[in-house]
Amino acid sequence: MAYRILIVDDSPAMRAFVRRVLELSGFDLSDCFEAGDGAEALTLLGAEWVDAILTDINMPRMDGEQFLARLAADDLLRSIPAIVISTDATHGRIARLTALGARGYVTKPFVPEELRDVLERTLGVADA
Amino acid sequence: MREAELENALRLAAEEVLEKMFFVQPLEEHSGGADDSGTVLSAELTFEGAPSGSLTLAVSESAARQIAADFLGEDEGGVSDRKVQEVVCELANMICGSVLSRVESETTFRLAAPRLLASDERRLLPESADESAVFTLELANGSLTATVVTRNLLCPTDEKSAF
Repeated sequence: MAYRILIVDDSPAMRAFVRRVLELSGFDLSDCFEAGDGAEALTLLGAEWVDAILTDINMPRMDGEQFLARLAADDLLRSIPAIVISTDATHGRIARLTALGARGYVTKPFVPEELRDVLERTLGVADA
Repeated sequence: MREAELENALRLAAEEVLEKMFFVQPLEEHSGGADDSGTVLSAELTFEGAPSGSLTLAVSESAARQIAADFLGEDEGGVSDRKVQEVVCELANMICGSVLSRVESETTFRLAAPRLLASDERRLLPESADESAVFTLELANGSLTATVVTRNLLCPTDEKSAF
């Protein structure tokens, strides 16, 4: 099964890197969507269904915490697993994002296999 | 936090970020500042927490272009100046986050968006730094220097009653 993934990050360079890593890592990717912040991501999710979301924390307009809270408050969108990709590996931040509904956490820097493994584990691919 | 701890965290963070995310192997480390005889791209971001401070990254233009090409998986000649600048900002962001997570894993920091510095904004160290660390790496096409400074904005206990 190929998956549809949404990458949310205000850095175009980082979005391009994550997309490239997904393609190179062997992850079964069918479509990859991009958004520059949480607000843009919510607009996109109104038109496109995705299997998982990879989101940054520090973003303008609507940051990662606000975005996760909006996903959790939506009956339909809360079922989409969201994984946080961030440089912030502090315990308090990870605990807060997990409480907000994040299903996985990838700390930058990471190697491609780490991202693929977290995505596949979250999507249940490893159990298939 | 001690300066030696900060220096060690900065070194480990810079090396790990460059190796894992930018596929760059540093040639060697040296204690002096970067060779700024050529064009240098500089980015800075501030952070708030305990402690607050900033991180500044200065990269030779040729090294920055190579790093950007490796990061984006593109040919060096095909990477636009804007993309190179974005990658330098992202590199600064990653190094800063990695340093802070190493030195204060129990504290939550708020990082501002990285911004490019104009040539007249660049300086080695701010005047108001409490602690600082500088780390320079020689790369194949130039050098990279990361500088982190921290400022303790809290008043000492015996001064608080005066306010």
